[in-house]
Amino acid sequence: MSRTRDGRQLSMMLAPYLVGLVALVFVPALVTVAMSGTEWDLITAPRWVGAENFIELARSDAFRAALSNSLTFAVVAVPLRLALACGLALLLQRRTRGVGAARTAALLPTAVPEVAYGLMWLWLLNPLYGPLNQLLTVGGENGRTAWGTLPPQWLTDPQHARAGIVLMSVFTMGEMLVILLAARRALPADCYALAALEGARPWQVLRRVTLPLIAPVLALLTLRDTIGSLQVSFVPALIVTDGGPPQYATTYLSYFVYRNAFEYLRYGYAAAATVLMLLLTVAAVVAQWRLLRRMRW
Amino acid sequence: MTDLATADGVRLSGLKVAHGDVVALRGVDLTVRRGELLVVVGPSGAGKSTLLRAVAGLENPCAGTVHFGDREVTRVRPGERQVAMVFQSYALFPHLDVAANIAFGLRARGVRSAEARRLAAAAATVVGCGHLLARRPAQLSGGERQRVALARALVREPKVLLLDEPMSQLDPQLRVSMRAELRALHDRVGGTTIHVTHDQAEAMALADRLAVLNDGVVVQVGTPTQVWGAPATDFVARFVGALPMNLFPADAPWRPAGVRPPTGGQWGVRAEAVGLAPAGADDDGQAEVVRVEPMGADLHVHLRVGGNPLVARAPAGTVDGLTGRVTLRVDPAAVHLFDADGRRLP
Repeated sequence: MSRTRDGRQLSMMLAPYLVGLVALVFVPALVTVAMSGTEWDLITAPRWVGAENFIELARSDAFRAALSNSLTFAVVAVPLRLALACGLALLLQRRTRGVGAARTAALLPTAVPEVAYGLMWLWLLNPLYGPLNQLLTVGGENGRTAWGTLPPQWLTDPQHARAGIVLMSVFTMGEMLVILLAARRALPADCYALAALEGARPWQVLRRVTLPLIAPVLALLTLRDTIGSLQVSFVPALIVTDGGPPQYATTYLSYFVYRNAFEYLRYGYAAAATVLMLLLTVAAVVAQWRLLRRMRW
Repeated sequence: MTDLATADGVRLSGLKVAHGDVVALRGVDLTVRRGELLVVVGPSGAGKSTLLRAVAGLENPCAGTVHFGDREVTRVRPGERQVAMVFQSYALFPHLDVAANIAFGLRARGVRSAEARRLAAAAATVVGCGHLLARRPAQLSGGERQRVALARALVREPKVLLLDEPMSQLDPQLRVSMRAELRALHDRVGGTTIHVTHDQAEAMALADRLAVLNDGVVVQVGTPTQVWGAPATDFVARFVGALPMNLFPADAPWRPAGVRPPTGGQWGVRAEAVGLAPAGADDDGQAEVVRVEPMGADLHVHLRVGGNPLVARAPAGTVDGLTGRVTLRVDPAAVHLFDADGRRLP
């Protein structure tokens, strides 16, 4: 009797979320899958083309570049973001003078609106008057560095542009920092007292105590950030590099989809790319989950 | 394992430790003899754990010295003191199996993996957890975790072994059997041991000598018999013993004939030394029975005499149908006297 009432209460309380989930996630996802089999420009009626979009994607240089750029970005940026967040968390976990200000400074880039953040980097990365290259050319002559090499050409050299996007993304790890700070502060003090008594040196404490104990949190963050990495490269690519330098140096999957849908009005084609993006995310999550699940105890 | 040849005595002189404005230890003098099991006992907040951590080097004393044998170690880092500690939480690493947990300190000191595992297995066998080497802490019971923590402490053959409330997470039955085992282990492997507890029964059962700590000061040191039989202060009288000593102000309306407590002081008598007899015609020493607690072999008889509470302990069956009024029989020789500052009078 009360069981059915519990069930009814539960479904009533879950209803708003379920409605949202179905209307805003499941249905659009299904529509996207359906759309990926069509040619549609939003004006004329959609035309069924079967697997043609996918075949075209496979042959497209732009898509292959976007796929490779996105994968490279994930492989490079996720570990860097995690390493920086983890390093800062361990450095800033003590309550000493200056730590509060340092934490605020580390969090600030994450709090800046994405577009403003992108515009800021457009200036920072400017090869002529941008402060970054001015700093790099200190002590050099004729706009070269002190070692006589050219400073990075952030906006014109493909490699440098990709590095610039990674650099931008590294500083927005504030959320990970907060989580890791909390995780580090929750570790039992007795374990550290024990390590001290057993004569463990600082790097041993890091390797044998701290890192293993926060490993489950690191694993979770790796998983989450990999999923996120398909998105975080979007605004920088849109605002700072516009997908270039030519041809497709910083065209990431998200940017590729955006361009095809909203600039070229090829909704079916963009939907097909989105479906592949989704499959990629699922594959990455499953692969990582299999690797990381051993860390539970 | 640790033996008398390598063990050191511990000497604390005038040790003061403060955490910010809170003074945890206010001048502790204490000597732990070589090979002795000394139990530091006291109520919560007395500074017991701080004392232990100061011996380990985990606290920075603001005054006083710590000696191991003839060597002063006050400023020596914890890792170089050759002490081992069992924490109240056991501080086992969840990601390591039992063998790796026990071998943790050996590995940190550069002992090779195979050798460390061999020593860990040997230590585990000594404390009776040799069959658990491959398990993770999450798969162990409370008692098993305690054994692992103990094995980890013993494996390095420490000069001094420190135990911080190691029994507090065990259920009462297990606590009693573990404390017998711990005592047997100490007798077998020797070594200087400082054991901290707030459980006075555990302290009495384990200790070669007791040190009673209250409010950051050592109030009394002695064998359990000495401390129970002749408590140095009224605090010790109340704290040590299965039942707190019955204490009365000097001006309480009733006291046994021949007992003369000093003005402003107190007199006291152990529950075991209070005899009960049927109420006679004489009104002197008559008490009212408030409640009788049957404790199995004993009865705890709660009484009121002249407005003061008093507990008597009597073997079950010797006093039947206790209700109403009874007459108290107290031998003046069993009475303890304390002066106005709570210090024992001879």
